[in-house]
Amino acid sequence: MLQKVGFADAQMVAETGFNSSPKTKGTLFRAAKAANFSAEKGKAQGDPLSKYQEFFDETYAQGALDRKTKHLIALGASLAAGCEA
Amino acid sequence: MENNITRDDLDQIEAGIRRKYSEVSKSPEGQFQYPTGRKGLEALNYDKTLIDKLPDAVASSYCGVGNPFSLGKIHEGEHVLDVGCGAGVDTILAAMMVGPNGSAVGVDMVSEMIARAESNLKMTSMKNMSFQTTNSENLPFPDDTFDVVISNGVINLIPDKEGALAEIIRVLKPRGRLMVADQIAVVSVEKDIQARVASWFQ
Repeated sequence: MLQKVGFADAQMVAETGFNSSPKTKGTLFRAAKAANFSAEKGKAQGDPLSKYQEFFDETYAQGALDRKTKHLIALGASLAAGCEA
Repeated sequence: MENNITRDDLDQIEAGIRRKYSEVSKSPEGQFQYPTGRKGLEALNYDKTLIDKLPDAVASSYCGVGNPFSLGKIHEGEHVLDVGCGAGVDTILAAMMVGPNGSAVGVDMVSEMIARAESNLKMTSMKNMSFQTTNSENLPFPDDTFDVVISNGVINLIPDKEGALAEIIRVLKPRGRLMVADQIAVVSVEKDIQARVASWFQ
């Protein structure tokens, strides 16, 4: 989880021997904030382009229609709508 | 890991933690499975020259689970944040380490603990530190404020750990260090949500 929010060099260093219950262990750990940390980079899944890619992939995924048929329908629809690109 | 825990469950966990720690703010003795007070500080090898400077009434309120200062040196002039500072013993020790050109701030969501921390602070002559009651998922500091964040036995109690850690990394300066002592689960967490809520701060 430390890495997930963008921490670097996360290390579990030692146990302390001070345990709250038989189910938990007192533990020492450390991490550092990278010199070039950016909150946006830490949350790559928040990138709008990667979201669009997810949407695109999901749309064209094999389903009741196969991928090729979906692409041909999209091409037909875009030509009918006058898209030139 | 937060899956399926409802808002009501979170409220119940928070109420339980507030209940326990408003008791702990009076005295931690008998509230934990491990030594507290000066005995705890000594057993965890805190710097003896520093703990000897703590008045007994301050040392007696210590209930940490480890010595976060054993993870790296705190330098003079640095700015330190103690997340979930409780009665503020670690915060006071950090303020001693950074000296008059540095600072230490302690935050805790339990107002009774902050009241105890402030009364502890009055028993010392420290001027380079302060305490604030606040939720650790929403730290009232600008980005890149602190050189070091310490925390002792608290992150395990926070249901939204990822949110709290994201806040910690936000307020740390680039190359800032996180030094934590905490409880880590060694057996799988309770499958039944109600049992997990009930045992949240075992």
